[in-house]
This record gives sequence, structure tokens and C-alpha cells, in this order.
Amino acid sequence: MNAKQAIRSVCVAGGGIVGLSAALAFTRALPKAKVTVAALPADPAALADRLPSTLPMVGRFHAAIGLDEMELVRSGAATHRLATRYVNWSAGGETWHHALGGAGADVGGVPFHKAWAKARAAGRAAPYDRHIAAAMLAKADKFVHPDNREDSPLGTYLYALRLDPDLYRARLQQACDAARIERLPTALAGVERRGDGGAAALLLDSGRRIEADLFLDCAGPSAPVRSVLGDDFEDWSAWHPADRFVLGEAAHEGPSPVDVVEARPEGWRWTAPLAARTMSGFAYASSVTGVPGAASLRGAAEPVSIRPGRRRSPWAANVLAIGDAAVAVDPLAGLNLHLAQSAILRALELLPGRDCHPLELAEYHRRTEWETQRARDFIALHYLRSGRTDGPFWAALAGRAVPDMLAVTLEQWERRGRLPFFEEESVDKDGWAAVLLGLGVVPHDVDPVADGIPLGRSAEAIARHAERLAALPARLPAYADYLERMRSAPAQPPRR
Amino acid sequence: MSGERSKTRVVVLGGGTAGWMTAASLVRLLPHAAEVHLVESAEIGIVGVGEATLPHLRTFVETLGLNEAEFMRATHATFKLGIDFRDFGAVGTSYIHPFGSFGVERAGVAFHHYWRRLAETRADEDLFEYSLCNVMAAQSRFAPPSSDTNSMLSTYSYAYQFDATLFAPYLRDYSLARGARRTEGRVVEVEQDPESGDVQALRMESGERIEGDLFVDCSGFISLLLGKTLGEEWEDWSHWLPCDRAVAMPSESPPGPIEPYTRATAMTAGWRWRIPLQHRVGNGYVYSSSHISDDDAAQALVAAVKGKPMADPRLLRFRAGRRRRSWSKNVVAVGLASGFLEPLESTSIYLAQGAITQLVELFPAGGRIEEADRREFNRMVDLEYDRIRDFLILHYHATTRSDSSFWDHVRTMSVPDSLQEKIELWRRSGRVARYSQGLFLEPSWIAVYVGQGILPDGWDERADLPDEAALARSMAALRDRIADAVRQMPNHGDFIQRRNAAIAP
Repeated sequence: MNAKQAIRSVCVAGGGIVGLSAALAFTRALPKAKVTVAALPADPAALADRLPSTLPMVGRFHAAIGLDEMELVRSGAATHRLATRYVNWSAGGETWHHALGGAGADVGGVPFHKAWAKARAAGRAAPYDRHIAAAMLAKADKFVHPDNREDSPLGTYLYALRLDPDLYRARLQQACDAARIERLPTALAGVERRGDGGAAALLLDSGRRIEADLFLDCAGPSAPVRSVLGDDFEDWSAWHPADRFVLGEAAHEGPSPVDVVEARPEGWRWTAPLAARTMSGFAYASSVTGVPGAASLRGAAEPVSIRPGRRRSPWAANVLAIGDAAVAVDPLAGLNLHLAQSAILRALELLPGRDCHPLELAEYHRRTEWETQRARDFIALHYLRSGRTDGPFWAALAGRAVPDMLAVTLEQWERRGRLPFFEEESVDKDGWAAVLLGLGVVPHDVDPVADGIPLGRSAEAIARHAERLAALPARLPAYADYLERMRSAPAQPPRR
Repeated sequence: MSGERSKTRVVVLGGGTAGWMTAASLVRLLPHAAEVHLVESAEIGIVGVGEATLPHLRTFVETLGLNEAEFMRATHATFKLGIDFRDFGAVGTSYIHPFGSFGVERAGVAFHHYWRRLAETRADEDLFEYSLCNVMAAQSRFAPPSSDTNSMLSTYSYAYQFDATLFAPYLRDYSLARGARRTEGRVVEVEQDPESGDVQALRMESGERIEGDLFVDCSGFISLLLGKTLGEEWEDWSHWLPCDRAVAMPSESPPGPIEPYTRATAMTAGWRWRIPLQHRVGNGYVYSSSHISDDDAAQALVAAVKGKPMADPRLLRFRAGRRRRSWSKNVVAVGLASGFLEPLESTSIYLAQGAITQLVELFPAGGRIEEADRREFNRMVDLEYDRIRDFLILHYHATTRSDSSFWDHVRTMSVPDSLQEKIELWRRSGRVARYSQGLFLEPSWIAVYVGQGILPDGWDERADLPDEAALARSMAALRDRIADAVRQMPNHGDFIQRRNAAIAP
């Protein structure tokens, strides 16, 4: 007998994207368990439920919950995401891209970015993102699926999805219904505790009482279930200045694989074109300005509050907080839903028994801490090294210290173009390099290994690479056409 | 600017394996940034027990641009697919820790959970039969892994077993041909800057004074620069890893196939290695001097070795632990001068290689050393040492042996909390504490846990989903596929010949 006593029932608090995703994931992992969703009234501050961006891990996540990516694309619930474009997000005001791909191959055994930094310092290389195939596609608002032919520039990137929150939630609901997951639209009246401090049952407004072995709190930053078991919040506001976010829409100019973030004096504006509409938002700091005029977006409601930070122990006894209930960040790097999906996969990988043994929780927390702290650092980097000073939002950032781990990254990068290793990074080294160089954080000295390659030779190789990529977008279809072709093609029989 | 800066003068102290590996790497990778001067003394022997290596050494061989066959001929090397541990968990048991994975993941759940589920009702289910690498090793067959990640033949790696006393001279020739300088003689004084404490120069018995910007201490256990001169504190781990001596003795190769693996056999007060090279077999008994006398250990080794001895037993002394920092001031210790973990998992050369890799990455160009680089170097070294330490302790602690005071001690000793937690996490439900960087990853931990009799009480519930008969059938099919693949591989000895890696008879 499996000595681990199986979880017999799971109760999910929260009927948004995060809650429904978790319900599906746990149902597939534990087909014998009863999974119930208490679809509490949506909290507008639960950004992971409301924002469309994901990272490439979304492919693995959809496989785990049994959603077909092609079907999502065909229905208009998903478009492809290849990059974020940063406008005015640097001292010099250049536009740059954080694309989901790497630059060229090593130059004479030296990592490309180091060889580039050396050539750039000598004035002999174009801006960094012209050497990244994915960024060149992004500049032209193009996307095609990566191939795996050796030496093909189209094999150097990954892609993610942008999920239309309304359509995607509807699709998740449908999948939950098909899996016979009970969904109860209701408000929460209380949490009944067990003798050991865990949760025994959720008490609902409807008068129902839902008992479960495991509770997943996917109900947004207030974490109405997890917080009953105590609070242990770690505040990141010193490094994440945006504490208000207005979410609405912008004029739709057709689909694009690129999210756009534009720095404005009072904060920044975010725009994500979906299949048939374009979402937009504005982030600012309430301690610096009131609601900026630039934040008046079509269809926008009141600004929501963001309290940046994380819960140190998202998992307490038999209650696991996921999504904004566990970690809250602004949408700048598109990590909101990604961190929730990653937490769900991690919880499945470490799926404990009914007793939620402290050892298993400790391993969950060890990995979670690494992941969330590096996500924190990645977002903080955008603010604390933007180089921008004009505008009250940016002026207020002057002199702010960076988190310790980020300091190690910056020190090693600025001095020698090296990215130190940390466990459980959400963003790979290509991503860190793209953002650092986009921000204008250029290594002032490169690796001594890079010094061994004659400048002329490496500069030539780098220039040839850029030329080759420059010619690439012209021979690819416009994204709208590419998407349309996928959507109108006859359905493929499901693979396998 | 970078183009104009002068070369960093690097003085490497010690001409053993670590010293010449350092010199060879620097002349190869940083010829424009480093001026390498190695100081060695013919009077001081090299330890050179590290005859068995880990797969990472292949990267080293490739980085230096060596021809593998030539390198193998020069060092009389054989291929290594793992380590055969005998009598560790209990007398009479054995398992191979293979350089490869177990089975195939299914629906996102690691293979060993499915195996564990079936083993509950099928006592003959043997996890190791699902490791291609293990089956190859057990049959003394060898073929290089495939680079096609979809192929089962890509699920393993390999290392070498070689004569370390030939490796250092081989790298010496390599380094000298590429511009390294070498001075032979005894160091009589280490000159330090009175203010900063930095090492300025080594004064030789001949009167020569060798100056440097950076000193790499490869002086072995004596740790002349880092330990003796700078007084870097020693962190002692002998309470967890009590073996502090070894007696080594080579013997003639027996007739028959050459095993592509190292053997570690548990002994009364430690364990015995057996490393088959092309021309001989290396043997040694690693023991705790509190539990057996030197004479008794030597006798036990001689009695256990099959094949004609080729030399008298030679004694080596060491202790487990490390210097708190491997890089202090302008001294970087590489190899035994930085710390020592006994050779149970062949980690010595790996640790030296890891330190060299970091040194190259963090090399102080222009002779200017930054505190941030020292910190980063030490952070990476810490990561390696702590994780390897726990893995080694597990080999001793995971036992039911009570047949000697040594095994009683290691079975009942308290282990580091970090290890205790890993063991309990595994025991509950077969989870391995995960790291993405570190020497021994999930399959290695699984091999030692299962091989030494620590079975998880539970498993991932998702492993209960497939129908039992269908699961058993698909697992049997996997065993057959492995057996088929191995049957088509050449014998290890034949492959060495075919590769043109064999020494002249």
C-alpha cells in the first residue's frame, strides 16, 4: 500500500483563471478525489486572473491540464507572444525588446553577448536586439513557430501565449464542467478550523459547508482562506514602486505577438493586442501622483491596489495559496499568471499526502522562495536601472538600493558581463541579458576570455549575423495573416 | 582599456594533477590575459590517487582541444560508466551507481514512482534493470552515448579511469608547449605584503624569487599558501566522514574483460577501491585510523586484492573538510589545498576542475582582484562542497551494517540537518530535493537510496493511475529494449581497441 494517504478532496477558493486552472490540474492528477470550486466574487486586484501574458512554460502547463493550444488559438482565446517592446524605457529613450530568444552563437568560443559588448564598446556593433532573431521578428510584429533545423535563426527562440482573460476563463469553465468539477458561485462566510490549525471546511453564504483534505486559496491578494491561518507577508514595495493599476482597453489595430510597455512621466502604460481586442493598462505610484490623466482608458474601472510582495509560507497545514494570494507583482514583466501556473506544477510535482507533511511543504517553500525572489529581482531591475529621471514616478526612484541577489547579478554583469547562477529562474540568461542591455546596463569590462579574440574578426562575425537577421522578417507573413491561416485551417486530428 | 592592460602574472604552486590542470586551462583559455609560472618540487610526491573521474572531465578534455583517443593512450585510460558499490547497505548487497537515468518519465511523473508502485506487489522488480547505463556496465559493454535526445542511447554519460601519475605529466607537456614556465625546486619562504597581507613572491631554495599577482595554491594537503601562510580557517567534517587514511597498491590486470566501472567494496573500517586501467588495476583501502591500525589495513588490502601486486602498499593521510574560503586575498586554492572529500564518488578531480572553471570565469584581468569576484567564487565552491558532502555521508549512513565499530558509528551518527531532511523527504514519498546546479542530480540520489535499501514508504499518487497489468507490460517492454540495445554494443575492451585508444601491448 502506498503509505501516503491520498488526498480525497480538494476545495478551491476562487473561480477565476487561477482557481479553475488549479481545479483542472488537481482533478487530472487525482482522478479519484472530489474537487469543488467555491467561485467567490472576483477580486479586481487578482491580477493573475485578469492579465493575459504568459511565459513559454505555458505549453507544459496546458499539457498538464489537458488544454489544446491549437484549439485555444483557433477559438481566439489565445494569440502568440514573442516579446515585450519597451518604449522610452531607458535614459536615451531608445526602443528595445525583451524577446523570448537568444542572440547569435558563440564567437570564437566566447558567449555572444560578451563578444558583442566588446565590439560595441569599440563602436563596432549595432544595438544588441538586432542580433536576436526573435527581437527582429518582434520589431516587425511578426511571428512564426520556431523550427528545429540546425543553424536556422528560427530555431533560436521559444514563444508563449497571450490569453484573452474572458475567453480563456470560459474555456476553463467548460473544461471544468466536462471534468464534472462542481462550481459554486457564492461568497465566503467563514473558514472552519481543525484542531491542528488547518482548515476543516469553507462556510459559504449559500449556507453550504465544504469539507476537504486540501484547500487551494486562489482568491486573490486578500487570501481569504490562507490568511485565516496567519500572516507572513514579505513586502517588496521598496523595489516595486507601482502600487496602482488601471486596466482597460485601447483601440484595436489587429493582433500582434508583441506586448508594449511605454514609460510615461507618471508611470507606465501597458498594451497587449489580443485576437479581436487590445487590452491596456496604466501603472503608477499612489504616493507620488493621483490618478494620471494618461490612465484614462476605455472601459476602465477604478484603479486596483497592488501590494507587491510574497507570502513567506504560501502553504500552511492543508491550505495552499496560489496566484496573487501567494505572490503579488505588477504586470511589467508579464509574470503574474506564469508564477501561478508554475506554483500549480510545483504543487503537483510535490503532491503531498493528506497530512501535508512539513517536510514536503518545506521543499515546496524552498523552491518557491528561489523562484519568487528572482522574479522580484527581474522586475526590480527594470525600475532601478531604467536610467530615466524625467517625471515624478521616475524621480522618486533615485537612490533606491537593489535587493542583495540582484546586486550580485548587477555587480558581475556591469563589471565583466557575467550572469551569476541562481536556482529556479523564471527568466533565462538570454532574457536577463536582453533587459540589461536594453536598459543600457552595458558591461564596462568584458570577460578576459573575450579579450582573446581579435576585435576585427569578432566584429565582422557579429555584423554578418545582424545582416542575416535583418533580412529575415521580410520573408515572413504578417502576423495577422499567419494567425488567420491557423484559425481557418481545417482542424488537425489531435496528436497521438 | 582592456586591450592595453598587462597580463596577470599567475604563479601556480604545485605540480600535481590540480596544478597542471590549472596551468593547462589558463594557457589554453587565457593566453592573452595570463602569464603562467608553475613551481613544483620533485622531492614532493603527488598524491595522484584520483584514478577514477566523473563525466565532467570530458568537458575538460574537449575544452583543452585534446584528442580523446590520444589522451586515453597517454594516460592508459579506460571508460567508466559508474561505480559498483558492494556491501554498503548490507553485507552481500550490491548496486551500480550509473552515470545515467532510470526508465522513462510518464505523464510528468518520474519513472521511479511507477517502479515503486509495482515493487509493492512484485518483489522481483529491480529498478536498476531500467537503467541502460547500469546494464551496459554490468555486462562490461560500452558504446558512446547518442546526441539525439529522443534516443534511449542519450540517457547516459561516461567518464574515464586513468593513471593520474601519467595525467599530470601529459598536461605538463601540453602547458609548456603553450608558453607556461616551470621552475623546479623547494619553496623556502613566502613573502607577503606587510600591509595587505597579499602574497608577493615565493623565495626558492636556489635563491630565485618568483613574483606574481595571483597565486594558485595547488600544494595539496599542506595548503602552503592558503592554509599555512594566510591561516584560512579549516572546517572539519571528520565527525561525518571519519575515514582519514588510505593505503594504495596497484596490481596486475586479470585476464578477461576490462570492467567499465570502478568498484567500491565496504570493508571493516572503511571501503576499498578497485579501478581497472588498461595496463593494471588500482587498489586502495580508505579507512578510519580510529577503527583500524595501518598495518591491519595494509594486510586487509593485500589479502583482498586479486592479481599480483605491482608495488608495496603506500600510505596516504588526509582529513575530511575544507578551508572556509577557497579564495582569500590573492590566493586561490585548487584541489586538496582547498579541501578534501574522500574518493568514494571520485570527486577530487571534479572539485579541482570546478574551481578552475570558476577561476577562468572570474579571472582578474590586469592583475586587479575584486572582492566581489572572490565572494562569487567562494559562493560557487560552497554550493559544490556542501552538496557533495551530504551525498557522500549518505553512503555510510544508509546502512544496516552492525558488524564493526566503524559501521556502528556511521550508522548511528547524527548527520547534517540538510541531509536528514533529504532522506526523510525521500522516505516519505520518493521525492528528491531538487537542485539544477550541483554535481549529483536526481538519478544519483535515487541510485544510492534504492541501492542501499532506503525505499520510499509512498509514491506519487499519479503513478497509481495506469492499469497495473498494462504498466507491468510496458515496463517489461522497456527492459527488453534495454537488453536489446546492450546486446548490440561491443565489449568495453574491444571498443577501446576500435577507438584506437589502446596502449601498445
